[in-house]
Amino acid sequence: MTESKRPDGGSQQLAQAMRVVELGMQATTAYERPDLTERLAAAKRTLAEPGIHVVVIGDFKQGKSSLVNALLGTSVCPVDDDIATAVPTYLRYGPQPRADLLFHGDPPRREPIEIDAIRQHVTEDAGVAAEPPAGVIVQLPRNMLASGLVIVDTPGVGGLGSAHAAASLAAVSMADAVLFVTDAAQELTAVELQFLQRARQMCPATVCVITKIDFYPAWRKVRDLNEDHLRGADIPVLPVSSTLRARAVRTEDTELNAESGFPDLVRFVTSRVAGGATARIAASAMDEVTAACQQIESQFEAERSVLADPAKNAQVVSELTAVKSQVEALRSSMAKWSQTLNDGIADLSSDVDHDLRARIRQLIEEADDLIDEFDPADTWHEIQTWLESTAAEKVMENYGLLRARADQLSEQVWRHFQEGSGDILNRLAVYNPADVLARAEVEHKMELEKMGVRKQAMTALKSSYMGILMFTMLGSMAGLTLGPIAVGIGLAMGIGGLRTEKKRQLTQRRSQAKNAARRYCDEVSFRVGKDSRDTLRRIQRQLRDHYSARAEELNRSTAQALQSATGAANRTKAERDKRIADIDAELGRLRELRRHAEAVVA
Amino acid sequence: MNLVDRTRAALDQALAVYQGTENAERLAAIRARLDEPLRVAVAGRVKAGKSTLLNALVGERLAPTDAGECTRIITWYRDGHTYEVVAHPRDGEPRQLRFNRDDGALEIDLAGFSPDEVDELVVTWPSQALRTATLIDTPGIGSLSEATARRTWQVLTAEDETPADAVLYLMRHLHPQDVQFLQAFHDTEVSRPNPINAIGVLSRADEIGVGRLDAMASARRISTRLGADPKVRRVVQTVVPVAGLLAETAVTLTEAEVQQLRKLAEVPARQVEALLLSADRFIELMPELGLTSIERQALLDRFGLFGIRLATALLRRAVVSTATELARELADRSGVNELRAVLESLFFERRDVLKSRSALLALDALTRIEPRPGSAAVAATVEELVASAHPFRELRVLSSLRAGWVTGRQTVLDDLERIIGGTGGAPHDRLRLPPDADSAAVASAATTALASWQQRAENPMTGHELAVAARIAVRSCEGILAELARRGDGSRPPGDLQQASQR
Repeated sequence: MTESKRPDGGSQQLAQAMRVVELGMQATTAYERPDLTERLAAAKRTLAEPGIHVVVIGDFKQGKSSLVNALLGTSVCPVDDDIATAVPTYLRYGPQPRADLLFHGDPPRREPIEIDAIRQHVTEDAGVAAEPPAGVIVQLPRNMLASGLVIVDTPGVGGLGSAHAAASLAAVSMADAVLFVTDAAQELTAVELQFLQRARQMCPATVCVITKIDFYPAWRKVRDLNEDHLRGADIPVLPVSSTLRARAVRTEDTELNAESGFPDLVRFVTSRVAGGATARIAASAMDEVTAACQQIESQFEAERSVLADPAKNAQVVSELTAVKSQVEALRSSMAKWSQTLNDGIADLSSDVDHDLRARIRQLIEEADDLIDEFDPADTWHEIQTWLESTAAEKVMENYGLLRARADQLSEQVWRHFQEGSGDILNRLAVYNPADVLARAEVEHKMELEKMGVRKQAMTALKSSYMGILMFTMLGSMAGLTLGPIAVGIGLAMGIGGLRTEKKRQLTQRRSQAKNAARRYCDEVSFRVGKDSRDTLRRIQRQLRDHYSARAEELNRSTAQALQSATGAANRTKAERDKRIADIDAELGRLRELRRHAEAVVA
Repeated sequence: MNLVDRTRAALDQALAVYQGTENAERLAAIRARLDEPLRVAVAGRVKAGKSTLLNALVGERLAPTDAGECTRIITWYRDGHTYEVVAHPRDGEPRQLRFNRDDGALEIDLAGFSPDEVDELVVTWPSQALRTATLIDTPGIGSLSEATARRTWQVLTAEDETPADAVLYLMRHLHPQDVQFLQAFHDTEVSRPNPINAIGVLSRADEIGVGRLDAMASARRISTRLGADPKVRRVVQTVVPVAGLLAETAVTLTEAEVQQLRKLAEVPARQVEALLLSADRFIELMPELGLTSIERQALLDRFGLFGIRLATALLRRAVVSTATELARELADRSGVNELRAVLESLFFERRDVLKSRSALLALDALTRIEPRPGSAAVAATVEELVASAHPFRELRVLSSLRAGWVTGRQTVLDDLERIIGGTGGAPHDRLRLPPDADSAAVASAATTALASWQQRAENPMTGHELAVAARIAVRSCEGILAELARRGDGSRPPGDLQQASQR
């Protein structure tokens, strides 16, 4: 339909940003700063594949796959009256339609399949394959996806009350936007409402989509009730009909399309979600370019100040030497930020571990109580489900703690790094005799925060978190089972022994069940514990690498500034004037580049 | 002495023991319950269509239905001589309430009570259908109003006494919450998780295919799959698909409605399809149809989009011509007839067993919780009765089978489930014979079955559990033969008549 075919602003902005980053890379290469080139190359990769995730989530049989199909004008997501989608489907842009199965592994293994064969692989009765796939990646030539949008159709298997739900929540925590799907048959249930509210806490761009409004005459009433339930939660409610939309797309009926309610949804996805996210991504890429420019400018400016006034040479060199030792300190392992990081990770590791143990202990106690309350012969299946979903819940809570604390730590490390590096770049450039206005502008841009150092650290963290996410998302926990317990045979028919025999069997069943539950909890505790330790190690490495690289960049800038400044004093007047003209030209070019970068964000 | 008499005797014994205590009244009520109709609760998640299905079963639009969460108070519908609604408040005496019935459903004036203050409502209504069973409408589980949901839970899972003898559990599509709910409904003493007293209903079946004309076929396929799922089999006897709204409308169809549908049926098929694309379109488009928007809204409320599509198609293709035929066809397609048949064979034929079971459960709980001099003897009587009465033994075998404790070849297990009455207590059901089989055929089939189960019970290679179950099956066969002999039109049964009679 018209909305989806219209090229949207988001992808243009990304393309623009891409051009500026490429210019920046040319500059850093020309000035022989491979470290900065590498940094810009990373930004370029992000721009090329921004991965803005819109996660479609909801209780099963609410029409999630139909919604995704109707949204994209396709039928690749299998829709069935009975069988639910069992693995997540990622729909992203590609010039040709193609589909790949994604398997567990590091890096994840891909295996191309026929696009018509998706149904066989993603539905819950697809248990024929030797190894169940972790997901399906579908590429489609759709303009709506061209800006890097990835739509994730999550499994409906198990419903919101199950262990899968925790996995879905994990997906939400990484999402740029969430479409919560519920059908117009009834108002939100308690489980749905709770889930929706938690999703909203994790992802601010959450919308509640009411589907099947063609079929339920009372959908307006359901919508009003839902709006009532969501009052104050800042979750917009969008009623849509996938059936009408699919037909409208087929027959190119604009009126019917409007009736389907999809134009609003498309607007939400492309503007509020994709637009916002692409703007963010473009802005952070431009920050990278600006930061690279600053590094180079600072070294030029130090040289220029010496060239302009050779008498100041000694003073500049001694100042730069002081800066250099400051940078050295920042680079050393004794730097405050580095110690904060190492101590912080150690503390965090033990706290997270302790938290997990406490939660699992509580879980075991709850399980014991439950087993004592009911007869496992009747309720073993339910206890299993309960245990699995509660365990997943506890793991999620533990993960929440890890994440919150790691964010805090990252903040702290950043602060200490900032304290340590202070005004290095300003001191490098302090002798710049250029006009005051230009300097004011430069100073204004000099803060590390503006350089995206902190933001980048957050990005690094985000990728580290994926460790735990993969754990829940890809369901390795689902591979953990409690296994059956041998239930005693309740077929004692004799009169006298009936009750005593039953009692004996019950005691036996209970102790078996408790043992099984304990084994399960131990295994969960072990796996999650290892996973969070790995994650923390990864976070530590990421942050260390990140700040070390920044320190290294500063070091290089300082070193080059020192070298140029030292050399500058020995030149003849004519050489100096020529060099000043060159430098001014270079600085002009860099300023031009920065102006481009600002234009992209504006 | 049959099961109900023995149960009554046990209750009399208990009454003597508890004479003069506050429990005497309760025991008397339990005893009286044995002579009342079977109590069937209609339960399920919020908006599963409980009230709608209840109306379809009663054949009248009694219970109010609404797009929001509607039933907030547990409501009993029972047969009686007068029309009457009584509220039982949490505190205070029962109070008669005013009600009216303008557009079908009851509108009850709560007389100043808030729904939370009322424990339950009892609607007495002269009705043929309610004579067979007292129906209990429950608020939905998963209700946003927590107090409402909790009360349903209590009604169905009360510790000491189950207010309902059997339950129709409505599921929109199997949901983890559903199984948990059913599980809790089951008691532990008389039988293990017990598919005896629960039938699953895949309600709002027309919605599964989102109103496509083949929606019911899809629903049937799903209910068959659910009915075969071991998890589901452990808790419900079987799963039946019902399009509740269509069923309710079919049994209360009016001539005026059929007239309106005819107008639709006269419009060319393509145009009707475009009109019925969505509920909104049906209300707004084609003003030339000669139906006011109020009439159209009323049709939608009564039939739903699926019902209108189906009824129009039936009329256009001249599958039906009169209102009566249409009503019959719609009722048939809604699945409600099938549900009635299942109710008959699984609940009503077994009503004595189910009622005795409820009474004995209550009695067992009482003796445990409030022991008194002499109550130990009552407990012993109950235990003896539970352990020895053949119908209860059959129930135990059935639930063990469903729980997967009895193992063997699948065909043998299927036979076993049938012979102990798992799919209906009538001899022809047990022996896989057509309903019209004559007694000679029944006798010969029963004799063959008897021999084969005897053989299995005695075969040393048979597993312990299957052997125990086989001995119960043998007695079931003997029971069939004894029953034939008593009616005096069958061949003489082999074996001990005294032992074989279904006590």
